[in-house]
Amino acid sequence: MMATARYGPAEIDALAELFNVGLHRAAAALSDITSQRIVVEMPRIWIYEIGEVEQRLNQLLEGELATISQAFGGAVAGDAVLLIEEDKAAELAKRMTAGEAAINGRLDESAREVLAEIGNIVLGACLSGFGDMLQLPVSIAIPKMSVQTLGSLMRSLDDSGDDTQYGVIAATRFGLSELKVDGYLIVAVGATSLNRMMQSLIHRT
Amino acid sequence: VTVGDVLAPQSASPRPLQRLEDLGDLLDVGLLTVDRDLVVRSWNRWMETATRRPADDAVGRPIRELFPELTLAAENALRGATEGVAAVLSHRLHRCFFHAPAAVASDTLATMQQSTRIVPLAGDSGAADGALVIIEDVTDRVHREEELRDAVNTAEAANKAKADFLAAMSHELRTPLGAISGYADLLRDEMFGPVVPAQREPLERITIVSKHLLGIVEEILVYARVEAGRELVHLKETDSATLLRDAVLGIRPLALKKNLQLDLALPDATIPMTTDVRKVGQALYNLLGNAIKFTESGGVTASVRAAETEEGAPAVEFVVTDTGCGIPPEHLDRVFEPFEQGETGHARKHEGTGLGLAVSRQLARLLGGEITASSVVGKGSTFTLILPQRSTVAPAEGHSPG
Repeated sequence: MMATARYGPAEIDALAELFNVGLHRAAAALSDITSQRIVVEMPRIWIYEIGEVEQRLNQLLEGELATISQAFGGAVAGDAVLLIEEDKAAELAKRMTAGEAAINGRLDESAREVLAEIGNIVLGACLSGFGDMLQLPVSIAIPKMSVQTLGSLMRSLDDSGDDTQYGVIAATRFGLSELKVDGYLIVAVGATSLNRMMQSLIHRT
Repeated sequence: VTVGDVLAPQSASPRPLQRLEDLGDLLDVGLLTVDRDLVVRSWNRWMETATRRPADDAVGRPIRELFPELTLAAENALRGATEGVAAVLSHRLHRCFFHAPAAVASDTLATMQQSTRIVPLAGDSGAADGALVIIEDVTDRVHREEELRDAVNTAEAANKAKADFLAAMSHELRTPLGAISGYADLLRDEMFGPVVPAQREPLERITIVSKHLLGIVEEILVYARVEAGRELVHLKETDSATLLRDAVLGIRPLALKKNLQLDLALPDATIPMTTDVRKVGQALYNLLGNAIKFTESGGVTASVRAAETEEGAPAVEFVVTDTGCGIPPEHLDRVFEPFEQGETGHARKHEGTGLGLAVSRQLARLLGGEITASSVVGKGSTFTLILPQRSTVAPAEGHSPG
């Protein structure tokens, strides 16, 4: 069942704003590191039960994906992933390094490492936003960069524990000169963490 | 990399490990820890060697004092780790965590390239209150990637030089060839006086051969222009059936000459398209000419129908099927390579540059489409040209050179 319906437009908008603040913070950090102007678009947000996330993202993404995953814990716990189509990810890494990584359009080791850092900054900025909102620290593990299919990623996120798992999807677009790259964040959390996040948002708005 | 590889450099010591902390001295990576105030708390042997600073001298000093060159991003990552957020500092964005000479000198890499990971360290309470910094020397890897990049750049430059050369040479050849053909026509038309019967056939041959050569030069010129990214696209509204019919009419004399059947299958309803009429016409003419060239008996069928691109956009599919000798599966991809005609030995039985299919695929791609081939040896081949119904290529301004 699509979980977005459980929350009203105001709560979804507030969640979008929370991601937006994190994404802009990440864009500013990436701009500083690369000395290039990096912009992000206001994200669109959906919340699904984890089993339905794949179906939704299949309409938006195709082929092999570059995924940067980080487990997080503390006030809320789960897994956060940044997904970018493989060829777009290579182009992004190439542009961010002024052509030094992703030589020949391939995700070489340097490109993978650059993407791991980009993912770390983007996911870290968004997850820290949750921590700030909850006024509790969120710890974030070292990022893991992979090239895989959406199906393979979703199998790794589908925790078969008792707590129903949800996927919060934030769809945005990174802009770097004329390059536009669609990026999707999945924050996979259990019902307890999701409720805690949404309750905090409700109290804040 | 195996555990054995990592431990190998310094594992020759016969002494057993005294403490778990000593394990860090056996690893071929830099390890240092800092506390919440970013004061160094441990410093392994790799760090001692790379910085030429003994652990006794490093421990207890603020990291900024040891590495004044530390970037703000690196310092922020360290502070983040002491609050529980792990980080990666890729060498392509940060170059290095600290400055050290490269172990192996190269022309481009004088300093050690480093890949850094920063991991939160938990204190007694279980919450993060320090950070572990893991530094890997990746200079060799970066050096290899730079060699690869140089090789790719050299190959691209060579390819462009080749295309430029072909374009320039074709221009130089085309002008005198046009003159030869033109003067032969004028002589045959007796513009310079009467032509005796014995001169007519040689004049006819000059015209035929020079026009054939001019066609080849034109083909090379188009190929070179597309390769160099200088071929302009002129979009216009047209009808797909008309495009195919015109190409079939143009090629029909060749089929008649070989006594081959040439069939045209058109749809009942018109399929309008926005495309570059000249380029699609040339691609179709090449596909039909190729089919006739490699067919000795039977015939060639050309058809067109509405289709979809891989992305699901409306498209037009032109299909040319022949009853020729067919192409072995291992040569099917090569037929689109420039100057290839399937199997080389077989190919040279047929005249031409071997550029026809390469040019056709280039033109298809220029218009956002593709050409694919399937074949059964001894039964014939099918070439499919699929083009978006509405090309989105920006219309060219002005005229293409040449």
